[in-house]
Formats: sequence, structure tokens, C-alpha cells
Amino acid sequence: MNQTQTSTGPILTTDGIPLKVSLKKAERINKIRAFLLVLPLLAFILITFLVPIGDMLARSVDDRQINTVFPKTFEVYKKWDRQGLPSEEVYKTMFFELKNSEGYAVGKASTRMNYSKSGWKSLLKKSKRKFKKIEEGPFKEQMIAIDKKWADPEYWLALGQMVDPTTMGYYLNAVDLKYDSSKNIVQQKENRRIYNKTWIKTFKVSLLVTLFCLLLGYPISYLLATLPMKYSNLLMICVLLPFWTSLLVRTVAWMVMLQQKGVLNNLLVMSNLLADENRFQLMYNQTAVVIVMTQILLPFMVLPLYSVMKTISPTYMRAALNLGASPMHAFYKIYMPNSIPGVSAGCLLVFIIAIGYYITPELVGGKDGQMVGNWIAYHLKTTLNWGLCASLGAILLAMMTVLYWAYNKIVGIENIKLG
Amino acid sequence: MRKAIKAAFFGLISMAFVGSAIADITFVSWGGAYTASQQKAYIDTYSKGSSITVENYNGGLGEIKAQVEAGNVTWDVVDVLPDQAITGCDEGLFVKVDQSEFINDMVVPPVSDCVVPQIFWAYTAFYDKAAFPGKKPKNIKDFFDVKKFPGKRGIHTWANALIEMALVADGVKASKVYEVMSTPEGIDRAFAKLDTIKDHVVFWSAGSKPLELVSSGEVVMALAYNGRIGAAILSEGKNFEYIWDATVLEQEYLVAIKGGNEAEALEFMAHASTAESNAEQAKYIPYGPMRKSSIDIIKKGEPWFIKEGGNIDILPHMPTTPKVLKRAVIGDPVWWADNGAEVHERFGAWKGS
Repeated sequence: MNQTQTSTGPILTTDGIPLKVSLKKAERINKIRAFLLVLPLLAFILITFLVPIGDMLARSVDDRQINTVFPKTFEVYKKWDRQGLPSEEVYKTMFFELKNSEGYAVGKASTRMNYSKSGWKSLLKKSKRKFKKIEEGPFKEQMIAIDKKWADPEYWLALGQMVDPTTMGYYLNAVDLKYDSSKNIVQQKENRRIYNKTWIKTFKVSLLVTLFCLLLGYPISYLLATLPMKYSNLLMICVLLPFWTSLLVRTVAWMVMLQQKGVLNNLLVMSNLLADENRFQLMYNQTAVVIVMTQILLPFMVLPLYSVMKTISPTYMRAALNLGASPMHAFYKIYMPNSIPGVSAGCLLVFIIAIGYYITPELVGGKDGQMVGNWIAYHLKTTLNWGLCASLGAILLAMMTVLYWAYNKIVGIENIKLG
Repeated sequence: MRKAIKAAFFGLISMAFVGSAIADITFVSWGGAYTASQQKAYIDTYSKGSSITVENYNGGLGEIKAQVEAGNVTWDVVDVLPDQAITGCDEGLFVKVDQSEFINDMVVPPVSDCVVPQIFWAYTAFYDKAAFPGKKPKNIKDFFDVKKFPGKRGIHTWANALIEMALVADGVKASKVYEVMSTPEGIDRAFAKLDTIKDHVVFWSAGSKPLELVSSGEVVMALAYNGRIGAAILSEGKNFEYIWDATVLEQEYLVAIKGGNEAEALEFMAHASTAESNAEQAKYIPYGPMRKSSIDIIKKGEPWFIKEGGNIDILPHMPTTPKVLKRAVIGDPVWWADNGAEVHERFGAWKGS
């Protein structure tokens, strides 16, 4: 009887407000408080993480620069049929827009135009200087007299790639494609095709590094987790000491070890295991990058593995052995599945760090060890082609997102454990 | 007690403000022996009120562009390469300077309106005398001839100077190099020549590396910055020998960053670019001054290079003496500002294939 009564009417608090409402109210205050507590962190992430990434993504498609510097030229340019040389009108508009431009707009535009066709930069600079003396037309002949590049249709055709304010050109560039003059997608010139190879190389090196880290890290972590405290502490220090040593010091130490006249080769030759002229080429190539990066990234594999293995109770294995499983079988059926969260965490961590690595490939990579990070650095610093940097970075980001998604589908993200 | 703490606190804050009211200049350069020479030649002797903080960077305009675009300029004076001097000035990253003081006193005209002269440095081939007991390599042809002089060569990981040297080794006259390079066939020709040593090269990217490679016997010859070779010979007593052929001369300038302490920066740059300052720097590092009158000062002052136990003649180690200039290529920053990206990508493809 009592029960039916309570289920029909809402439960009221002493002041007559339904309990649900008053509870919500109290909770809302708590929620706001909690939100205020995380607000600084949220703002921090927004400002230092999301905004820069958004800015980067915007840069990777932005192509307004030319359109704002030479708007009229592009208007008349669009009418040109792309056969032979453009008409006098195009030359004339270009002439006046260049001559009357002020400030640094032309400099910035010329940097952009130079990406499409090398030579635009000096052509615009030289022409702007000499245009001062020219007062009246016809302009075509006079411009060609200043520099014969104005008579080269290649330069004019290259402008065709830039007519729109946004472009996919940087992304195309990042996978060895490009626009031709009428904005069809074509392959990059053969001797400039370099990014696809670099992508494959970057993946290959990162996968190999992850694999070797796992192969080396698994037994170490197992030892660490199962040895008595007094030995495992010592072993832990052996893992952590290199981790605390500067990256540069470790990289340079590897150079000394592995180069052709280095410690390893010298030892092998001295002990007559290797002929002097057959010294191994272990430095300044891809092999060197894999070896050195494996050593540098090993702690990122060992630490999550160790912390997960530490939680696997030894009684499981004992029980399995007691029930008649062979040690191999027990390991395969009991220990390994339990350690999977650590394996996934370690692999994901190592792979993600490896794929964006820069300094080690730069120092020991030599002729074929350069990764995507090295090209990003080059364009960031030397050519100032930030659009290309942004697109390379965005592709990396997309790859990581896909990888994460695939991982979540196959293994499940809740299975990741860092400890 | 609390009052005292409060007072101290506000005192500290106001001190911080007073401190920033006196203009400081941040001078950014490449580090190592080079920055040390700048420090001794004209930073230590500067007494116009601004205190100067020295920082190192690795070249490129990336950081500068980021600072100017973000409106948060912390660098005031930067030591830059000529193609960057051109691009940076065009894009409005640098302040334009009054060049009337030195414009008629320069070995080559300045590359842009934003620069004051620093030094000439050079990519030069060199070897350890001990590596060649018999016949010694004499010119760049020998550097590219692995049959005549077997052994590995150390070269840098970017294309500048390598294209020029390959062409000279292939028979192009030093003065005609950029003409040939401006044709597509010319670049093909350079890469074809580079192909001939491809299996015999070790790449370096840090300036100290080629010296190490040659010292340790990892390579028999290498290209390096002439100042580094000079420092190794003069200060460390290494037994190196230059191959003064197809030496590629590069210019080095100082610029002031737009939005920094411009007035103080310009005043400091005027001091750093006097003929005396340019000459003074050669006391500590064998790079060639860009001002003609600096070379006269050095000539009169020989032995000019400062060393414990007796000074040494510096001119034999300089890349700007008439003997070297006769066979040198004067680097063309305009060509590289135009074609650098394209050639570098091609060079990357060549390296990796």
C-alpha cells in the first residue's frame, strides 16, 4: 500500500519542491564549480593546441596572396585561352599593378609565385625596379625587353594554378602531384618526385622502430616486473639512465660507435672477423636511423609495458602451470593476453613519436634516412613555404587519426593502459 | 613583517619595469668560433648604452617570420645568409638601412636594402696531408675523380655550392657557372657529375662534422666552411690542406628585425660594420671581410691572427685573396632565391634514390 503511494506522486523535500528539481539545482552548482576548475586547462588547450592546429589547416589551403596583389590581372587572365602568349591587355594590367604596388605585398606574392615556377621572384623584383622608367605602351614589347622571361609562356601558364583563393595545391605537392596550367591534376616532374618515397620511408622506419622496441622491450619489462626488488631497481636505473641523458649526447655517441672507422667496426676488424675493406656501413643511412631511434625510444615501450606487467598476478601463471599447461602454452594463453594493454600503449606511443621524428634522422640519416619531419623543417626555415609544411603536417595528423580509429575498432581504446 | 614582504614584492616588480625600460639588444648568430669572433671583435667593444644578449640559431627565416607575424619580436639583430637577406627584405621582415657609409667600399654590392656587410665565407674542399703520401689532389676535378684518388668524400646534405663545384669539375669555367645553371641542361649536367661520386660520399649537416670525418679517416677529402678548416689548422694544429679551386664564396650580412628595438639595433649594426670591426673579426677567425678597406688594414697589420706564443699571417687562410678569387665561384644568392627550392627537392630525390 505504502509503495504504490510513493510511486504515484513525486517525492517532495521538506520545503515542497520536488526532490528531482532540488537535486538538479544542487548538482548544477557543483557542475559549474567543476567546470570553472577545468576552465583554465580548457582555455590552455584551446589556445595552445586547437587554435594553432586550426591555423595550420587554414594555411594549407589558403591561396589568397596573389589574388589580393594582382586582382585585375587575374580578371583579364581568366579570359586568356592559354595558347601562345597572353594579350597586350594582360601585360598592361600586370604592368600597372606591379608598378603601383606598395609595401611588401609583391615580395610575399613573388615568394608564392616562385613555388609554381622558379624564377618569378627575381623577375618581379627586377621588373618593378625597371618599370619606373616606362610611362606608356605598348607594354608587352617593353616588358620583354627588360627580361626575356616575360616572353616565356611557362611563366604565364604557371599563374593558372593560382586563380582561386583556396587551393589543394599544397596537398598535391605533398604527394608528388601538381596542377597543370588549366588546373588538371598531373604527376610532378620525375626528378622532383620525392614526397611519396619519403612517406613510405617514414612509415617503414617508424614501423621497424616500433617492432624492434617491442622485441627488445618485452623481455626487459618481463624481467623488471618479475625480478626481486633489489635487482629490478638496478635494472630500472639502467633503463632510465639513458632516458635522462640528452638526446643529442646519445645520438652522437652512436655516431662514434657505428661509423666506418668507429668502435664497432674497429673491434670486428681487430679480432679478424671482418676484412678491413669490408667494414659495415652502419652510419649515415636508414639502418643508422632505425638503430639509433630504437635505442632512444625504447624507454617509451618499456615503461608502459612494465607498469602493466607489474599488475599481472604471478598466481595466474602458477595456476595455469598447475593445471597442466606447458610453460610456453601458459605464457601464450595467460600472460600475453594480460599484457596486451601495455603492448598497445607502448606501440602506439613509440609509433606516434617516431613518425614525427626530426633530429636523429637529420644527424645520422645521411643519404636515405631523411623523414617527413626533415622536409617540414626545410620548408619551414629555408623556402618559407608554410603552406606545404602545413599540408605535410595535416597529412601526418590525418594518418594518426586514422590509425587511432583503426586501433579503436580492432583492439578497443579502453584496452590501453599506461599503468 | 607582512608589510616588508609587500614592499619587497612591489620593489621587485618596479625593478622589472625599470629594467625593461633600458633597451637591450638580442643579437642572434650561428654560435661556435664564429660567434666568439663577433663577440671579441665588436660586441665586447660596444659602449653605446644598450646591453647585448647573444643567442644562437640554425639559420633560416622560420623563427623570424613567426616572430614578426605574431607581433612578438624578441630578436633585434640577426646574422643571415644572402638569399635569406633578399627574401626577408622583400617580405618586410627586416628594416631598411642607410647604406651610404659602406656602399662604395664593398667587394661586391650588397644583395638588398636591408643589410650591413659582415664577411665572405666559402665552401672549400680540403684533405689531411697524411692521407696522401704520394700525389696530392690539386683541384676540384680531383675531388670528383674517385679513380685517381680513391676513398670517400664528405659533402653537405643540401645542394648549394655542390651544383657549382660539379659543373666546374665537369669543365665549366668558374665565371660561367650561373649561366649554365640557368638552363635545364646545366642542372642535368651537374647531377650527372654528382652521380659519378654518389657511391663514395658521406653526408654531413653540422659544420664541425667534415673536420671530424677527415681527421678520423672516415673520408679522404671533404667540403667544409673555410673558417672551420682554418680554425682547425691555426688553433688545433691540424695537418689539413685546402684545395683552393672552385671555392664557392658566400656572403654573410647583419639585418635588423622589424618590430624589435630598431633604433638601437641600427646603431649597433653601424658599429659592427665599420672597416675596423670587419678587420678586427679576422683576428679570431679566417673569414674574409666584405669591405675593401678592411683588407688593407689586415695587410698592414700582418701577422694578424691572434694566437698564444706569436701571431700568425691570416691572409693565406682567407677566401678573398686574389690567388683564390681567380679560381673561385662567387655565389649568386639571386639564383638560389629563385631556384633553391626546386633544386633542393631534386637533390633530395637524387640523395634518396
